[in-house]
Amino acid sequence: MKLITAILKPFKLDDVKNALQAFGITGMTVSEASGFGRQGGHTEVYRGAEYTVDLVPKVRLEVLVDSKEADAVIDVIVKAASTGSIGDGKVWSSPVDAIVRVRTGERGTDAI
Amino acid sequence: MGTRERRDRSDSIDRELSSSFLASAKAHLSNPESVALGAVGGYGRGELAPGSDLDLLILHDGSIDSNALNEFVNAFLYPLWSSGRAVDNSVRTRSETRDVASEDIRVALGLLDLRFVAGNKDLVSAVDEDSRESWRKNQKKYLPKLKQSLEERAERSGELAFLLEPDLKEARGGLRDITALHAIGASGVLPVALERVAPSHALLSNVRDALHELSGKSRDQLLLTEQDRVAEHMGFADADILMLEIAKAARAVDYLLDLTWHRIDQQAGQSWLSKRSRKNSPEIAKGLVLADEEIAIKSDYLISQDSEIGLRAAAAAAQRGLPISIDACIAMAENFKQLSNPWPRTAREDLVALIGGGSQMIRVFEALDQEGLIEKWIPQWSHVRFLPQRNVLHRHTVDRHMLETAVKAAALTRTVKRPDLLLVAALFHDIGKGFPAKDHSEYGEELIRPLALRIGFDQQDSDVLALMVREHLLLSEVATRRDLDDPATIKLVVDKVKDPDALQLLHALSIADGQATGRTAWSDWKATLVKTLVDRCLAAMSGTKPVAQPDLIPTKSLNGDLSVTISQGDGIYEIDVVSRDQVGLLSIVAGVLSISRLEVRAARTKTTEDIAVFRWTVALDPNATLPSEEKLLELIRKGIHGELDLGRKIDERIDNYRRYPGIPTPPPVVSVMNDIATSATVIEVRMHDRPGVLYSVAKAISRNGVDIRAAIVSTLGAEAFDTLYVTDVQGNALSEGQARLLANQVENLLNTYL
Repeated sequence: MKLITAILKPFKLDDVKNALQAFGITGMTVSEASGFGRQGGHTEVYRGAEYTVDLVPKVRLEVLVDSKEADAVIDVIVKAASTGSIGDGKVWSSPVDAIVRVRTGERGTDAI
Repeated sequence: MGTRERRDRSDSIDRELSSSFLASAKAHLSNPESVALGAVGGYGRGELAPGSDLDLLILHDGSIDSNALNEFVNAFLYPLWSSGRAVDNSVRTRSETRDVASEDIRVALGLLDLRFVAGNKDLVSAVDEDSRESWRKNQKKYLPKLKQSLEERAERSGELAFLLEPDLKEARGGLRDITALHAIGASGVLPVALERVAPSHALLSNVRDALHELSGKSRDQLLLTEQDRVAEHMGFADADILMLEIAKAARAVDYLLDLTWHRIDQQAGQSWLSKRSRKNSPEIAKGLVLADEEIAIKSDYLISQDSEIGLRAAAAAAQRGLPISIDACIAMAENFKQLSNPWPRTAREDLVALIGGGSQMIRVFEALDQEGLIEKWIPQWSHVRFLPQRNVLHRHTVDRHMLETAVKAAALTRTVKRPDLLLVAALFHDIGKGFPAKDHSEYGEELIRPLALRIGFDQQDSDVLALMVREHLLLSEVATRRDLDDPATIKLVVDKVKDPDALQLLHALSIADGQATGRTAWSDWKATLVKTLVDRCLAAMSGTKPVAQPDLIPTKSLNGDLSVTISQGDGIYEIDVVSRDQVGLLSIVAGVLSISRLEVRAARTKTTEDIAVFRWTVALDPNATLPSEEKLLELIRKGIHGELDLGRKIDERIDNYRRYPGIPTPPPVVSVMNDIATSATVIEVRMHDRPGVLYSVAKAISRNGVDIRAAIVSTLGAEAFDTLYVTDVQGNALSEGQARLLANQVENLLNTYL
């Protein structure tokens, strides 16, 4: 089992959500995040004054999947989230030892 | 579910406890008559809900040694604890009880409901008499503590009537407040009309019983997930109707509690309950006086002939952070006279001043609403009153959410050019809610247009308000769902909003709406996204545009060097002043009007060649008489010749103004920009209105040898927005450095006056 984590541009969330649902993923966790990657924040010019935006708003999306599906899910996310410009974000997967569905007590892949 | 069931429940527990108490006493004490069992709190009142705690008081006469007492108490309580019942108990003698009660108001309150259950009846009766007597005798000590504890609790738990998931017991207007009303009545300080809240008491208790029964828990918070089941169980058509009934019940409790504290305050004459106090003041606005820290109606004033008195009182109260007296609210409702259509300018401004009063405004608004005045002025309000909303983001009913939005908007008035439109849009942005077949933003636009015209806004302002209501979710939605780097996104917003001033209004409304909704709806994260969107749209609109300079032609030719004409409008006067231009003329004329107690509501001034034309719209202070044209002429002439100490007189007015209570307001903001079209520097001053604003600003500018070529002055509710077009003596715009320095000076000056 894997935990797929994606950091995305906020406006891409709907597209990614729809693509994941179309793929058959029914549950996910979304939270507000902010940070910067290679773009290192950016500079805005407004009314002649220049100011640096250090932390760029992003969303963080987390999905638990069966290991077999992990690569395919990553592809779905990357495809849906891509704009081709800097700051599109990152996706990674990490191994998960155990999953329990709180309501039923189901464990492992049954709980996904 | 009902009073009888609650009584039966507590009777059956009485029987159960009584037998085990007596058995334990018999088994462990040499003299079983030395102890007694009393019920206190809700159990004492015989109002046990299925999940309520049992509040028990075990009394003893002090003759038992501590080991025996311990054994007896354990023998009695252990089976109770083992059965899983929530028990709150204390073991005391009569004198210990007295001591604890005198220190702890919660104990004192609980003892007022003391009821005999088992054992030595005399012990319970003695403690009961002690507690009631002490409560009556020490009312001056207890009641302020009670008031404070209720206020702290309301702060923590919110208001029952306006919360979507309220706590039936702890929230303001809930069961605990009803208990407090009974306690006030028991203190004998004054009779409390408890029969007025009897239906509320029954309803709230029944809802709590149903909630405990259905959830199997002792929790008193009515969560959204429980509301449908509780409504069905109680025979309501749906949860919305249940919540509406709860809201009405809570408002009745809240109102009686307010009224009761108010009467106590009044009865105490000056009061040990409130910090400050003041005798009747002179009229603070027509027909209104300040009495005992409240806005009251002047005696003998004919309310029925004044359609504007209600809004005037509301504005005065909200701007001073004081309540309107309940007697005044009742009198205004009974002698109600409808406003003309459209409303007069003064009524519109009073509405804006009411909305702009910040958090203090809510109580004023609620009092008027409770007496039905709000619905009489704004019939559209009826539909949103106590209207619940099924939305996980929201905490409050629709009406309260809009009030909370207005409170947040009041802190943002410096960020926009039209604080009045911001405040009005904040108060009505969700007015279209509650019609499931319609989109609330679109329907809100349909409702706000005629309402805005009726309130007295012109067509153009009504269009802006309509845009704000229709698009109040636009910025949040676009900022979080569209690519802000895509020019099409910026174009989408610019095409819809078009005007930079309107965009800034919409930005402020989005912030206020988000903040009022709750932390889940508005975070720094979202604020950053929305701000980025707004900044980019403003850049695309190429910045903000200054107001066009006023176009004024002398209404009559200038005879001699100075002329003054006064004409009367609707409770408001127009004063035209034409004069040969003179350095510092604007500050002199503004100062003369101020010391003549004419409050500037609007002004346009323009100097062409050497003739200066001023058109003032002013309101007369209710304690002053209108000066004649000749008198004003003479004062202005004296001012020009330096024979009038305007500075001192205006300082006196400001001091006098400061003697009355006020509300916290955002600090003044002075901004400058160069206007290419008129080659003048534009100075914008945004601040809370007070006497002599324009005098101070104009004087500070003239003192720097800067010429004021034109000015547009507006008072929007309680906010002043002044735009001054200035040049150096050669008639050129100021350099950027000069302009900034001047703006700083003016801002510092205004700040020192606050």
